[in-house]
Amino acid sequence: MLPNKRVYFETASRAMYVVLVGFGASRRGYAHIRGIAKAGEPNSLSPVSPGVLYMDPAVHATLRRKQRRLARENPGVLAAVAKGANMAVLECQHQFKYRRWNCSTRNFLRGKNLFGKIVDRGCRETAFIYAITSAGVTHAVSRACAEGAIESCTCDYSHVDRAPHRSRAPNAANVRVWKWGGCSDNIGFGFRFSREFVDTGERGKTLREKMNLHNNEAGRMHVQTEMRQECKCHGMSGSCTVKTCWMRLPSFRSVGDALKDRFDGASRVMMPNSESDMPLRQRNDAAPHRVPRRDRYRFQLRPHNPDHKTPGTKDLVYLEPSPGFCEKNTRLGIPGTHGRACNDTSIGVEGCDLMCCGRGYRTETMFVVERCNCTFHWCCEVKCKFCRTEKVVHTCL
Amino acid sequence: MTGTIIENLSGRKLAVLVTFLLLCQLTCFLIGGLVAPMPANAQNILGTVCKDTSVMKNDTTKWFYNRGKGKCQPVDLGEVHHDLSEKDIVFAFQMPIPREGETYDYSRWQQNLIGVLQVDISYHSQMEVKPRSTITIDARLAYRNKEDPEDGWKLYTQSVEKRVLDCDIDIKTDEYLYNCSLIPLFELGSLFHDYYLLNIRLPIDTPDMNAHIGHIQDMWVTVINQNGGFTKVWVSLKTVFFPCIIGILIWFWRRIHMLERKPVLLEKMLLSLGIALCFLNAPLEYLTLQFDLPFMLLLGDIRQGVFYATLFSFWLVFAGEHMLIQDTSAQSSLKQYWRHLSAVAIGCISLFIFDMCERGVQLRNPFYSIWVTDLGTNLALTFIILAGISTGVYFLFLCYLVYKVFINISHKRQSLPTMCSVRRLHYEGIIYRFKFLMLATLLCAALTVIGFILGQVAEGQWKWDEHIELEYTSAFFTGVYGMWNIYIFSLLVLYAPSHKRWPVNENTSDMQNLSEEIEFSRLPGERSEISSLTSFIRKATVD
Repeated sequence: MLPNKRVYFETASRAMYVVLVGFGASRRGYAHIRGIAKAGEPNSLSPVSPGVLYMDPAVHATLRRKQRRLARENPGVLAAVAKGANMAVLECQHQFKYRRWNCSTRNFLRGKNLFGKIVDRGCRETAFIYAITSAGVTHAVSRACAEGAIESCTCDYSHVDRAPHRSRAPNAANVRVWKWGGCSDNIGFGFRFSREFVDTGERGKTLREKMNLHNNEAGRMHVQTEMRQECKCHGMSGSCTVKTCWMRLPSFRSVGDALKDRFDGASRVMMPNSESDMPLRQRNDAAPHRVPRRDRYRFQLRPHNPDHKTPGTKDLVYLEPSPGFCEKNTRLGIPGTHGRACNDTSIGVEGCDLMCCGRGYRTETMFVVERCNCTFHWCCEVKCKFCRTEKVVHTCL
Repeated sequence: MTGTIIENLSGRKLAVLVTFLLLCQLTCFLIGGLVAPMPANAQNILGTVCKDTSVMKNDTTKWFYNRGKGKCQPVDLGEVHHDLSEKDIVFAFQMPIPREGETYDYSRWQQNLIGVLQVDISYHSQMEVKPRSTITIDARLAYRNKEDPEDGWKLYTQSVEKRVLDCDIDIKTDEYLYNCSLIPLFELGSLFHDYYLLNIRLPIDTPDMNAHIGHIQDMWVTVINQNGGFTKVWVSLKTVFFPCIIGILIWFWRRIHMLERKPVLLEKMLLSLGIALCFLNAPLEYLTLQFDLPFMLLLGDIRQGVFYATLFSFWLVFAGEHMLIQDTSAQSSLKQYWRHLSAVAIGCISLFIFDMCERGVQLRNPFYSIWVTDLGTNLALTFIILAGISTGVYFLFLCYLVYKVFINISHKRQSLPTMCSVRRLHYEGIIYRFKFLMLATLLCAALTVIGFILGQVAEGQWKWDEHIELEYTSAFFTGVYGMWNIYIFSLLVLYAPSHKRWPVNENTSDMQNLSEEIEFSRLPGERSEISSLTSFIRKATVD
């Protein structure tokens, strides 16, 4: 990270730390922690420096029962979840740096939901937030598996039993399986864990829940499909008669990029309106009180505009148009674009015309002292000069 | 007059034998596809960044790891650490990584361990990574066994290595990652201990060392080990094939010794082919379960090399022996084939030298790689290209020889109608069987090549059915292995001298026309026990 970014990051996480620990006892603070731990619901998520979270007993109390069980069964997983949530927030802010809605988490410090009440609306931005969060959890958990920080990560059992639902074998059998056919699955566990943990609350009954499920799944799919295959030849004399390949976890930035592309092309959906659109098995079900868990992800959303094609698994979906982000809206927790920096030469969303919603902008010339001509050594040493540069800053009125 | 078994075998018996061998072949393929797991397993391990607070950095009794008693203090490289210098940073890789809540350990059935390093470097406009910059790695490998205490790591090997870091980037924006090529890190020929631990430091002893490698975010090591199940299936196949081939070899040799004449070149070649196959088949892997044998990778290469060399030489001699044209008097010997065989020899020797330079040196230093230095790369490439050229030359030679054999045979075929019918039928049978064996060879070679290409195109698993999943890579290996065993087995059987008297020959001898009778009687003692196919061709050339 660049030094200034790092400083930002540090202060940010320190602030979160204060919120967590400092207000931990108060009701407001409690609500936050609740949000963090329930990382599944991004509406109440907070960035938190890893390590703080799982030590706090109050956190544990705020998890849903199932999440608590998951955390108990997989020691070390909460730290990964927190890290993933943090990554998601930073990535969201990076991707939306130059847009009217900039993934602001300012509200969080004032005691509201992390991303503001925007997540109560089923709009594009919400879709992105859900997708990036579940992607973040998937990514971070997979990473933690690769590091050995979570010892309960599972193996890929395709070579043992071809049946999809294999009951957990006793431990001795597991060791035998490892010695027989190896074990090299990181993303699979991350994917499944994210489904279990993040999607806990979403039963897929209402349209909004379906939207959330779809977007969560889309986020995870992007982590999976952004993976790159790497191979190594190790046959006779190192020739390619024997070649072993594995999947490499993508950088989270590339996942964010891919999701941002999907955000731009997100499709507006609606409920299948007739019974005939419903999948067969649901119609046959006499009393569809509870959709079976396995089938939770098997639904088809219909595009709002019948001419559009139905959204795929990797597409983001939303239900209603986004609210205007130009003006402050306390009801939705929208800060507005007043005071945002913009680019006067651009005609895109970061340009002053669009960003300031036609209100006009102020131009200031200021001298900034910046680090420049930095030389790095690979780890820790940064030697920089300080340069005074003239900068023209445009700010929305 | 006696011939080889293939000439005396009835069509029905041959069919039965071929069917049986094909069934064996299918079994080998299916054992690999249905029983064996993938040949090798790869584990991605993300390095834990540990803080080395000690003053002396070259203390090899101090180890850093992230699990178990005495684990290190992890550091997040994303944050600023003013109290750290790059000397204090250690990347720790503890292998194997735990799964299912269990601490897995390596089994000796898993045979070998290959490590590949991947570095995640983020882009900084002020610190671009130059293409092909050098990274200096201080790598230390430790081991521990189950009965040892959790902090009882012992030094296995240690080395400071230079590697070329080949990175490029598409989007030059801060915090995007470079695409860096894989860096081969180590190869262990034996997986004798239960746990291994790799500690990597990036030293900066000189100002230029590790200065142009950018900002490292993460280090990944992918460790590849052979799967225990695959080794078990493989060794079982070997255990079955080994005595079979030994048995048939003894039978073959005894049969030859029962003859009055000395063994001919083709029989000697067959024998050495059988011995080379035995060398390849010997299940030496059992020894690795008891002893630490790091040379097994090298030995495996040598065993395969010897086998291929003998097989290639055999084909040359086989083709050559079946078209002797002029000097029928001299017993053919290997010397006659020196020009053809030199291609095989050059190829094998250059591959052997390359292998000794790579895997031989790795016996001393598992982190060594010949590909790192420019000189080494050129040297390795020279040997490999040399081997490639001699393989090409060899195949050209072989094709030429086979072409000539077929031309010869078709020439003689034209003179067949002039012979009496019984004799003609018999010769046609011989030609048919000779072609049959040539076809078998071609089929084996083609199957190997096609299987290999299919494996490259469609990686991993093949699905024929919803429930039957074939582990194609393993099936390919066991299939090919079984195929060549069966091929040589059948060669030994079919080309062994037959003891059966040749009733057809005796019955028809009086019916043959005079000129042929004369040909046969010219060198009666010498010709009597040579395979009738060769005798036929020799005789025909004299015609």
